[in-house]
Amino acid sequence: MAVCIAVIAKENCPLYIRSVPTQGELKFHYTVHTSLDVVEEKISGVGKALADQRELYLGLLYPTEDYKVYGYVTNSKVKFVIVVDSSNTSLRDNEIRSMFRKLHNSFTDVMCNPFYNPGDPIQSKAFDSIVSTMMVQAC
Amino acid sequence: MSVPDYMQCAEDHQTALVVVQPMGIVPEDQFFRIYKRIASVSQVSIRDSQRVLFIRYRHHYPPENNEWGDFQTHRKVVGLISVTSCTTTKEWPQTSDRFQGQKEVFGSTLYDSRLLVFGLQGEVAEQQRTDVAFYPSYDDCPDVEKRVEDFVESIFIVLESKRLDRATDKSGDKIQLLCAPFEKKDFVGLDTDSRHYKKRCQGRMRKHVGDLCLQAGMLQDALVHYHMAVELLRSVNDFLWLGAALEGLCSASVIFHYPGGTAWKSGARKPGVSSAADAGKRHRPGALTTNGISADTSTEIGRAKNCLSQEDIIEKYKEAISYYGKYKSAGVIELEACIKAVRVLAIQKRAREASECLQNVVYINLGQLSEEEKIQRYSVLSELYELIGFHRKSAFFKRVAAMQCVAPTIPEPGWKACYKLLLETLPGYSLSLDPKDFSKGTHRGWAAVQLRLLHELVYASRRMGNPGLSVRHLSFLLKKEVTQSLENYTSKCPGGMEVISLPDGLKLPPVSFTKLPIVRSVSLLNLPVSLRPHKVKGLLGQGMSSASPFIYSPITMHSRGDERSKKIDFQWVQGDVCEVQLMVYNPMPFELRVENMGLLTSGVDFESLPAALSLPAESGLYPVTLVGVPRTAGNITINGYHTSVFGVSSDCLLEGLVGVKSSGCMVEVVPSLPRLQLCTSLPRSAHLSSEDLSTSVSLRLFNGEMQQLTITLENIGTETLNTLELTSKNLSTKEKLFGEFLTWDLQDALSHLPLKSGQSVSIPVNISAKLDFSGQENLLHDLNDDGISVTGLPVSSPLRQVLKPRAENKPVGSDASKNEFNHVKMLEAVLTFKYSGGAGQVEGYSRELSLGVRVDVEPSVFFTRVSTLPATSTRQCHLLLDVFNSTEHELTLSAKNNQDLVLHASECQRYTHTHTQTPPSLKAISQSQRTSLLLRNELFVEGVLNQLILEHLQLAPLQWDVVVNGKPCDCDVIADCRVGDAVPLEVKLTNRSKSAVGPFSLTVVPFQDYQNGVQNYDLQDAVSFIGSNTFYISTVKPTENSVCVGALLFLYTGDFYLNIKFQDDSTARDLPPAWFCLPSVHVKAQEPVEL
Repeated sequence: MAVCIAVIAKENCPLYIRSVPTQGELKFHYTVHTSLDVVEEKISGVGKALADQRELYLGLLYPTEDYKVYGYVTNSKVKFVIVVDSSNTSLRDNEIRSMFRKLHNSFTDVMCNPFYNPGDPIQSKAFDSIVSTMMVQAC
Repeated sequence: MSVPDYMQCAEDHQTALVVVQPMGIVPEDQFFRIYKRIASVSQVSIRDSQRVLFIRYRHHYPPENNEWGDFQTHRKVVGLISVTSCTTTKEWPQTSDRFQGQKEVFGSTLYDSRLLVFGLQGEVAEQQRTDVAFYPSYDDCPDVEKRVEDFVESIFIVLESKRLDRATDKSGDKIQLLCAPFEKKDFVGLDTDSRHYKKRCQGRMRKHVGDLCLQAGMLQDALVHYHMAVELLRSVNDFLWLGAALEGLCSASVIFHYPGGTAWKSGARKPGVSSAADAGKRHRPGALTTNGISADTSTEIGRAKNCLSQEDIIEKYKEAISYYGKYKSAGVIELEACIKAVRVLAIQKRAREASECLQNVVYINLGQLSEEEKIQRYSVLSELYELIGFHRKSAFFKRVAAMQCVAPTIPEPGWKACYKLLLETLPGYSLSLDPKDFSKGTHRGWAAVQLRLLHELVYASRRMGNPGLSVRHLSFLLKKEVTQSLENYTSKCPGGMEVISLPDGLKLPPVSFTKLPIVRSVSLLNLPVSLRPHKVKGLLGQGMSSASPFIYSPITMHSRGDERSKKIDFQWVQGDVCEVQLMVYNPMPFELRVENMGLLTSGVDFESLPAALSLPAESGLYPVTLVGVPRTAGNITINGYHTSVFGVSSDCLLEGLVGVKSSGCMVEVVPSLPRLQLCTSLPRSAHLSSEDLSTSVSLRLFNGEMQQLTITLENIGTETLNTLELTSKNLSTKEKLFGEFLTWDLQDALSHLPLKSGQSVSIPVNISAKLDFSGQENLLHDLNDDGISVTGLPVSSPLRQVLKPRAENKPVGSDASKNEFNHVKMLEAVLTFKYSGGAGQVEGYSRELSLGVRVDVEPSVFFTRVSTLPATSTRQCHLLLDVFNSTEHELTLSAKNNQDLVLHASECQRYTHTHTQTPPSLKAISQSQRTSLLLRNELFVEGVLNQLILEHLQLAPLQWDVVVNGKPCDCDVIADCRVGDAVPLEVKLTNRSKSAVGPFSLTVVPFQDYQNGVQNYDLQDAVSFIGSNTFYISTVKPTENSVCVGALLFLYTGDFYLNIKFQDDSTARDLPPAWFCLPSVHVKAQEPVEL
């Protein structure tokens, strides 16, 4: 399961970032932040004509020594980043995909909340709990 | 080889390496001046061929790197230029020896060398030597470049000869095996005769020749050689060299494809490598075009089919890198290859592949690296990421490099370098130190990372020994988050508003605490009412008429809405304290002390009086009033405010603030006016409800009481008071006021004008309250209770007056009725002093000072009831007035006719007044002896007698006069007559009404009253009429009269009454019956006097 899940707004500021263990938070901030480079590159790499039927799932953004970083971009250019432990080899690409889909659905729910201001950090409890189910249980 | 050259790029493969070194003691700046001049000769066209030789200069080159010269010839030091100072001839031999020694360092690879000697003159310098050049001084060496060019040419000759030597060496019998430094021991004892070995030798040699061809400017040949080498080496699985051959192939192709070079970014750092600027001048034999990249490479491929396509270059690079990866000792080579590949990828704009390459670079283990090398490595990584557009990644590595600068293992941490590097990371984290960008919202996001960076900046700047910078950054940090340590620093180094310039040219703009506290609204306050200037009306019209021809236009309203700097419609006065109210709140979770808070203005000299405030943690909106004194007249604009928080001064301009509500910031300041201070002899009171008043007094008076109020006006301003006017205005009251409420005499005060500063004048004002308390509803009610039919029965008709027994026992003094009568009435008036003087008067301004006077009038004496009683005469009636003393004092009531009545406190007494037919103008004057004060009051009957009662009190318009025996008769008058004598009876009708009346008929009926209820009308034999007993009165016109004359003859003595009956006539029916009340006549008939 994921060690860090982040939602990044169109303007590349974080809407939501959560990680386990919590003490290494800054490290994940750096990881996710730098992964945006790759995300942007991937988005811009796709031709304009193909933008419509673009695959939302970006796949592995980059592997680091300890983690693998996966990306997902909605059509409104909101980015989801999931960081998983490299040692966790049992995790398939398909599972990552389904995680992103779940995340996307939950995010859509958040956006549907009339009291949510687009661009504000996400504070929804429902979203939080969905994320929690995807995270590694902190020991 | 352990020192990687992070600046390597693919073109370096075609350069020849020349080391330029100082020898002995050479001043550094001088050396680098010479070095620069030497380095400017980076490419030399060879005279008789079309080829160009590229030179790469280094002033420092580790000899162990030189050992890799066989592996890749561009790593080989082929030339040496030594720069030395030599002042005397004696030193020369020694210098020469040292030059030899230096040559030996790179001896194995050197093609040629030069020695540049500066400062030596004399015969030694005269000698012509090719390898030594003598110059008198560092400034006087005009032909250095020429010398270097010659030197390069000589290198080229050697290079060319070597190339030809190797290329044509087809003998094949014994090809020397070229080795990388670490391989040497591996091949010891290997079978040198095997085919495998031979092939290996051949392949390596091919590759070497390829290198040489490339250096010698024969790109096509190089490509061919590389291709052959690749094939040969692939067959023998000589991976290291295969990698090198592939890399060579790539380099050659890159040079072919991108004549502009791939190292454009770091060109400035490498003076030895020609920059992109002179790319056009480069002449490459392999390339068709001499200037720039031809977009369509397919045309060239025909000519250069050996050249790799752009796609292939990357493929081959990857392959080469993977081969290098097999050898641990070739880490540096792998790393450099990676970097070169990244540069190519960057040009091809294939950022993702480049990033993968770079990712690989991170993992290449070069063994034990020194800290400096680590820093360099991270910096280069960061630069490369920047190159491929990965700004965040670049920032990350830059930050790592910065942290490496100050790693705890380093004995002397380079805080300056760390700080410098940290500053460079800022754009990557989309941080801007300019607070202007702050409000634009660029700072959204990644707070944790940004915060960390700012913290590091603060720490670094502090360790750098620049607390000023630290303060600036901390201030900035504070704008985002909370930090309290700022105060400690500011005590040592106050944070100012000036721009801090760093030595490297970066400017740190001042950070203003616009969020500490947050200002929500700014409103300019009008002056207090008493100080507001009023324009003389005549002048006011001009400004309005010029604005628009319409009195009202909705269009102007719209345009005014968005105008921020609109003028406010009130004025401030020069020299007077003016106020601006800010609504602020403290968003911080701690108490915020704001000191020296003042206004920033323009347009007028403004003396801002700073305020200090302390805002509780996370306070709500909190009003702060900033004050100041305009020193000159004109238009003043409030631009912002300045604060001092935690010792950091900030200037906050309103235009830069978001979410500040302002109703306009420009206001006119009019010239100074005098100021009056008002004090009264009475204590101040709360303000009156409706009006804006400077002061007000209130007092309590009994109705009819008069009191004097002394108003003292003091000129407390600086200007001289020239004019003073006093007006009063009674505020709306329903009460009927008798007489003047306020009276004054201003003459005495005006004689004191002009009033200089500090002088005062006093004005006496008399307050008298004369109100009517009697005309209250309950009074009328009482009348009804008395059974006097207000509608039907005539009050004034004494004859028909039937009085029911009055309810005398009515509890007048009881609480209930006391409340009923104790209505306190309020009188309000405003005294307005209008004054002017000084410069403001010239401009037509004046000031108004208003004093509110409020008097609660208590009832003193008033009528509670009114009723009438019939008098004996038809011409009179009795008016009964119940007078009530509601005060707690004893009062004496005196009427016009000097009838005194003493009224005790809360006592009600009846006062009888005989009401004549004269119009009711009765006045009752009451006097009370209250302590020493004399209360004079006039009680007015008018109030009591409302319209209805008055109607009944008035005389009937038809006046009947009955004259018996020549004597007018009324109720009480007894007419005397003699028995047997004819008694003339005359009835006279005078019409005082406005219309004609009549005709009427009257009948005189005599009767006798036995005083026991029996009335005898049967008097035919006792009284005889002479003539008719019935009179006829024809129509009587207004103001005319009609007289009917008859006569009576009394036959017996006795008391007789005559009842004159009015004969009902249909025509007169609409007239009220009261009009036809004729007096009854009492006639006393007596015995005739015996004469």
